Amino acid sequence: MLRVDKASVYFSTREGRPIHALDSVSLDIGKGAFVVALGTSGCGKSTLLNAMAGFLPLSSGSITLNGHKVEAPGSERGVVFQKDTLLPWKSVAENVALGLKFAGMGRKERRERALDLLRLVGLQDFAEAAPYELSGGMRQRVGIARALAPDPAILLMDEPFGALDSMTREAMQELLVDVWARTCKQVFFITHSIEEALVLGTRVIVMSPRPGRIVARFDPTFVTAFARDRDATAIKTSPEFASLREQIRAIVHQSESCRSAAQ
Amino acid sequence: MTHVAAANPSLPQDAEAPPRAVKIRGFGIGERSTLPISVATGLVIIAAWSAVSEAGLVSHLFLPTPREVASAAVTFYQDGYANASMWEHISASLARILTAAAIAVALGTPIGLLMSLSRWMKGVFDTPIEFYWPLPPLAYLPLMIIWLGIGEVSKIALLTMAMFAPIALSAQAGVRSVSIERVNAALSLGATRFQLLREIVLPSALPEILTGIRIALGVGWGTLVAAELIAATRGIGHFIMSASQFLATDFVFVGIGIIALCAFAFSIAMRLIERWLVPWKGKS
Repeated sequence: MLRVDKASVYFSTREGRPIHALDSVSLDIGKGAFVVALGTSGCGKSTLLNAMAGFLPLSSGSITLNGHKVEAPGSERGVVFQKDTLLPWKSVAENVALGLKFAGMGRKERRERALDLLRLVGLQDFAEAAPYELSGGMRQRVGIARALAPDPAILLMDEPFGALDSMTREAMQELLVDVWARTCKQVFFITHSIEEALVLGTRVIVMSPRPGRIVARFDPTFVTAFARDRDATAIKTSPEFASLREQIRAIVHQSESCRSAAQ
Repeated sequence: MTHVAAANPSLPQDAEAPPRAVKIRGFGIGERSTLPISVATGLVIIAAWSAVSEAGLVSHLFLPTPREVASAAVTFYQDGYANASMWEHISASLARILTAAAIAVALGTPIGLLMSLSRWMKGVFDTPIEFYWPLPPLAYLPLMIIWLGIGEVSKIALLTMAMFAPIALSAQAGVRSVSIERVNAALSLGATRFQLLREIVLPSALPEILTGIRIALGVGWGTLVAAELIAATRGIGHFIMSASQFLATDFVFVGIGIIALCAFAFSIAMRLIERWLVPWKGKS
């Protein structure tokens, strides 16, 4: 279980005036949970993820994973970035096996594990390809396989499908839900798409900017049906989905207009 | 059927004519090869040289004819110069440059990497490198002779110093170009500091390091003549200086041509090495 307890982050600007990026955020991500952080840009969701990953220290508060304090990046927290960070000098299989190599696993063993993971994301035929020969969606699938390789307790995903076209994006959502259902990993996922949040999350937290904080929490159940039936269209056209979507949209808009009024 | 084709201009009128392929208009010189233009320019220069010198407009002492230069080259190839064959002169120069390059790469790469990773290393090495790097090698050549004597050591030291700075500076630039996402990705996969350096930082910096080596080799050829001023008995630089003392302008031309050819061959070799070591360059 990943526990965020009253996490606050201040950045200092060039003039020395601190920016309040994250304001006392508390959040629990339990076993098998798929938590989606939703919000406009600048609402602190990436800041929260960077702190969870250990890239960014907190100004105050704490983050613990299974009781251990998070202080630096580590292989028990896998990260998938929006921009692909694959190494162009390594083949797809070697990229996936990178974390296993760092852990000191033997060549043969890590290759087998990499091929298993590539099978999981449907890229078994591209093991020897170079990353730059793949499409954007395929590269992101390699990124997911690579993050899963060291068998992390939680997967942190920073708008992983943000740069993909909408059709690829839907296919990736389906794939991710499939991987999540099969591996039972905890997932923390950032998006600014309300539909994506609702279709993927067991919990959706809505964040608002300046200072970044959680303004609403929802526990949608669509992902169970999505994992079972693989029918996103049926979910997205259901009246429950539409009503929740409008509810969240209203909250996002309200927090936006509050901010403009305050300025 | 003909009137249908005429009514619909998108249908191909003639199966033989391939469609005219188009692309977005570019800026600058475009993609077409400049090789024919360069070759033609070279030929024009040689023709002008030949015309001016053969017509006797300039004394042969100042500008020998192409034929005189060619025969000087043949003489040099057949008889050698100053008790050494042409290959001995060329290989003496090549050995100096390659030895100096090897030392400069072996020192410059790790020092450049350390300078970009450690504040202390940066602070310590910045002062001497920034001080000596803009100096012309000829300026500190006398010191090399006084300190290291007139043997091979002072020549290789001079070349090494000239080649070290561009390599160290480009290694630093290479590390600075590593994206923070790539570093964070590796750290979150459990990389230790050493693994990060070996698996991420070094390969990411490799294209820049290779560019630095290419620049360094150019600087090396530029410094060669100066290095071989010091009591050399062999070497292309020495050959040129010695020929100039006898006003053997045609031999000077031959020496210049040999250096140009060697430098060109090095440049091509570096490009091949780059293609082999960093095939991903410009693709990611």
